[in-house]
Amino acid sequence: MAEPLIRIENVVKQYTRDTQVLTVLDGLSLEVDKGEFVALMGPSGSGKTTLLNLIAGIDRPTSGRILVGADEVSSMSEGALAKWRSENVGFIFQLYNLVPVLTAFENVELPLLLTRLSKAERKKQAETALAVVALSDRLDHYPRQLSGGQEQRVAIARAIATDPALLVADEPTGDLDSKSGEEILVLLERLHSEFGKTIVMVTHDPKAAARAHRLVHLDKGVLKEDVRAKGEKGEIGVAAAAAIAAGK
Amino acid sequence: MKLLPLVLKNLLRKKTRSLLTIGSIVLPLFVICILGTLLRALEADPSGGKGMYRLIVRHKVSITNWLPGAYDPKIRNLPGVVETLRMNWFGGSYIDQSAKNQFARFSTSDADRLLKVFDEATVVEGSEAEWVNDRSGLLVGRQLMKRYGWKLGQKVAFKGDIYPITLELTIRAVFSAADESGVYFHHQAVEEALPRVKGFVGWYWLKTDSLAAAERVPKQIDAMFENSSYPTRSETEKEFQAMWVSMLGNVKLLVGSITTIIAIVILLIAANTMAMAARERVTEIAVLRVLGFTKEKILGLVLGESFALSVFGGALGLGLFVLLLPGFREGLVNSPMGAFGAGVRLFPEVLLLGFGVTVAVGLFAGLVPAIRSATRPITEGLRQVA
Ligand SMILES: Nc1ncnc2c1ncn2[C@@H]1O[C@H](COP(=O)(O)OP(=O)(O)O)[C@@H](O)[C@H]1O
Ligand SMILES: [Mg+2]
Repeated sequence: MAEPLIRIENVVKQYTRDTQVLTVLDGLSLEVDKGEFVALMGPSGSGKTTLLNLIAGIDRPTSGRILVGADEVSSMSEGALAKWRSENVGFIFQLYNLVPVLTAFENVELPLLLTRLSKAERKKQAETALAVVALSDRLDHYPRQLSGGQEQRVAIARAIATDPALLVADEPTGDLDSKSGEEILVLLERLHSEFGKTIVMVTHDPKAAARAHRLVHLDKGVLKEDVRAKGEKGEIGVAAAAAIAAGK
Repeated sequence: MKLLPLVLKNLLRKKTRSLLTIGSIVLPLFVICILGTLLRALEADPSGGKGMYRLIVRHKVSITNWLPGAYDPKIRNLPGVVETLRMNWFGGSYIDQSAKNQFARFSTSDADRLLKVFDEATVVEGSEAEWVNDRSGLLVGRQLMKRYGWKLGQKVAFKGDIYPITLELTIRAVFSAADESGVYFHHQAVEEALPRVKGFVGWYWLKTDSLAAAERVPKQIDAMFENSSYPTRSETEKEFQAMWVSMLGNVKLLVGSITTIIAIVILLIAANTMAMAARERVTEIAVLRVLGFTKEKILGLVLGESFALSVFGGALGLGLFVLLLPGFREGLVNSPMGAFGAGVRLFPEVLLLGFGVTVAVGLFAGLVPAIRSATRPITEGLRQVA
């Protein structure tokens, strides 16, 4: 049995708007093993993004604990969290969120600017990351000169540039056509199987979820379903994912 | 800093807007520096400190009231007085009354002493003796010579207004001094043409041998003539200038206010640009923070951009100012305001003022957007996409 990388213990997340308290996550507990590829599904507004943000150390829970490896991210200071994120998590957004004035290479180099690496080392590492996403021939292209799928691949290269153990993706294929989406999923699959990344991916798309090896279904801030594929290397499968997405 | 390229690229993101903002810093900054220079020139002592040893004795009521020329020996005999000079304001006009033909015209009853009192001036063309020995001779400032293209030996005519006469005078000498915009001639020429003014002078100009004398002598003179029909008011040239400058106090206040207003306007324009830039980049900044950029780095990024904007504008504005200042001085010296032009130079404090305005604009324009960008919760920044 693999050791858990992420441990979410009884997490509550509330937003207070005026006097109204909105409970988005309601005592949620979840463990994700090292090297797992988890799909997070659930209706819109069920708290998927909120959960992902908590795992990635972008946000902090109202109560409960979140541990990633040995680090308790739920109690770190903001400054410490920033450093922790830069070393331990790669974030992939639905809308890629590349910096438009920077080239593909410069976008990927961005997180490396926060490290102690020399210019030459940064170059090598950024180029390696872009090679992994098969964009070595687009180093000097600006985001507007790339297709959506290519932009998302640059974003993935940026997420893996510092070689973090954990990747979180919030609907990474949500804005792509099915062919480009498929390429992204293949890429994530490779990062998981070849590079041993632990991946937590939010998705609405059963086809995307089917790629994962575990499917967690969230509804109104509580865990409704938690399905693991049978066997070591198996995938969830489209039929099962669709059934879960539909709430059975 | 590794992030400088990003700062500059952000600046180039909206090129037109950045250029317009930089432009709106360049020109006002140039104006601020010119105004600051004028202000300093107004305050400067064109005698280079010698004015402290010189006294001006005028009628107690006003400088337009005449004093008897016979006071001269009495004043001259006071201990500490080195030299005296009787001066008159001739006024009048040359060619016509138009603004471009305005300059100072003085006559003196003691031509041979003028350059002893007014001792920072040197004769650069012709000779003092030629001027002193010719009753209708004229001593001209070098700038004025250039302005009119006059030649030594040339005759020029001044039409009087206070004195209803026209004097035809011959240029005998040219002097160089801080203020080269005036002419001097013999008061005897005026008295010959208009005998009824004989015996009266406009004011006395005298030189003392020490600061102590400059301090003591005015009181003695004023006491001496207190009960005569022509009481005096004596003061050092420096005080006289100070009085002149205090008359210009309102001008200073005006110039000071205009400068402040211009600085505030630049600030508002730059602040508006920075606020727009930061607003457009809310999501982007949130993404940077997800990548691990700290609040401090974001603060630095936005402030850096604001500084880059103001420094570009400031450097161009100051550069333009330094470049155009000699021309501005030249133009001023050759204008009716020539006396002020003499004081115009590159004052370090004016450069400092321009630099200060630049830094203040960079800091204050970027401060609020920078703090907002840095402290906005990341999740809130990211939610702006959806
Ligand atoms: N910063 C916030 N302030 C207030 N409400 C929020 C905030 N973030 C999320 N929410 C609310 O929390 C709920 C869950 O949001 P989210 O996690 O984005 O859902 P999902 O990603 O599953 O669609 C939604 O109702 C949303 O409006
Ligand atoms: Mg979401």
